[in-house]
Amino acid sequence: MAVGSRLRHVVESQQFSRSLLEELFVRSEEMKREPHHFIGRLAGQVMAALFYEPSTRTRLSFEAAMLRLGGTTMGTDNAREFSSAAKGETLEDTIRIVSGYADVIVVRHNEEGAAKRAAAVSAVPIINAGDGPGQHPTQALLDLYTIRDELSKIDGVRVALVGDLANGRTVRSLTYLLSKFKDIKLWFVAPPQVAMRDDLKAHLDEHQVPWVETQELDAVLPEVDVVYMTRIQKERFTDPEAYNAVKGIYRMDKASMALMRKYAILMHPLPRVDEIAPEVDEDPRAAYFRQARNGLHIRMALLDKLLA
Amino acid sequence: MSITEGRLKATVMDADQIRRSLSRIAHEIVERNRGVDGVVLVGVVSKGDVLAHRLAQILTTLEKNPVPFGRLDVTLHRDDLHLRPHEGHRSGTDLPDIGGKVVVLVDDVIHHGRTARAAMDALMDFGRPRAIQLAVLVDRGHRELPIRPDYVGKNVPTADSERIEVLMTEEDGIDQAVIVAG
Repeated sequence: MAVGSRLRHVVESQQFSRSLLEELFVRSEEMKREPHHFIGRLAGQVMAALFYEPSTRTRLSFEAAMLRLGGTTMGTDNAREFSSAAKGETLEDTIRIVSGYADVIVVRHNEEGAAKRAAAVSAVPIINAGDGPGQHPTQALLDLYTIRDELSKIDGVRVALVGDLANGRTVRSLTYLLSKFKDIKLWFVAPPQVAMRDDLKAHLDEHQVPWVETQELDAVLPEVDVVYMTRIQKERFTDPEAYNAVKGIYRMDKASMALMRKYAILMHPLPRVDEIAPEVDEDPRAAYFRQARNGLHIRMALLDKLLA
Repeated sequence: MSITEGRLKATVMDADQIRRSLSRIAHEIVERNRGVDGVVLVGVVSKGDVLAHRLAQILTTLEKNPVPFGRLDVTLHRDDLHLRPHEGHRSGTDLPDIGGKVVVLVDDVIHHGRTARAAMDALMDFGRPRAIQLAVLVDRGHRELPIRPDYVGKNVPTADSERIEVLMTEEDGIDQAVIVAG
């Protein structure tokens, strides 16, 4: 029975093996290069997008991916306020119902672990599009794909993760993926209030990935191939004082770009607030808009893998 | 594609049931072999190897004695090879020394018994085990060969047209065994 096993759900980034990642990246490249070959691949299939937290880019990117493959989409943007959740329906019940209508369900939820709960009761594939401070695996896939695309390699890269590392699910998911590659070195640049959590550090130690924790961004910039900036997430703070103490602490501008290596890249999952000055956008090393565009192709590849 | 094809029809084991079954199987392996000396776990790629890895961890904790484990890729030993594409297949086999050892073969599901036969055949290419035992998470019946597993997580009667899929957190994000419509 072991032969021909397939991808059923996308819950967390640890579940992707190197060979599956490689398969998805190659497929993404084909979709980017020759999109006309894939028109109609998912004709007749329906994707449901259940978003319990606001998102524009992730949702539109998933919808665009499905539509470009010939499928159709339906969904709700404010599942928490406007759907039956407002009447007290559990996530599990909602998923059971929607999985009767759709062929795949994309879920974004405010609680960590929500995607796993959804997958346990769904009759169709679940894709985690972010579960609270937990994970955001498809973002990690497009991040890793961007690193591969921009630097032509993943093994041996030196990556600085900067900003809100405690609540930033994208950095958590990306870190799990990077730990599968060889000779990776990581710098965690964050104020102590939002430092990288211990569970991930233990995971890195277990996989013998060296990491350094620091608060000094300028000292790290000349050392790395990738600077991954993140926004300090106001919505994850319950105490406004705590947020004010750390907001705006790291900012990339022309002066800090001068400290970066010539062939390094600057990434950001977006949206940005003030972590990257607009003057940086013209620097060829500013990769964040290219990174966002890659999201479309990697999500097309993923939907294709799950449904075709 | 029909609207029901590929859809999950029912959950046959949830995460807790899988955890308890593996724990029981580990105890049965210890009891039957009077410990784990000379025992090697070999999982059949691509779900059996995840199960074998977990069983090896449970046994190592249980007996305070490291239990070697490996993975066996039987793709090229299957008797239906001519029916499946295998171009450019790279073998995922990675085995410890099995000569003179008791090899516990581990797979997720036993059905016709053809994978188990192929696995025994493949194993012989790598050495001469003292004995081979078979552990599966789910036995769904419909055997076509005289093969019977020594350790079974759960017997699940199924229609021949249905499929059983075992999901493992390491590869699928959750632990679950499900019946899928054919």
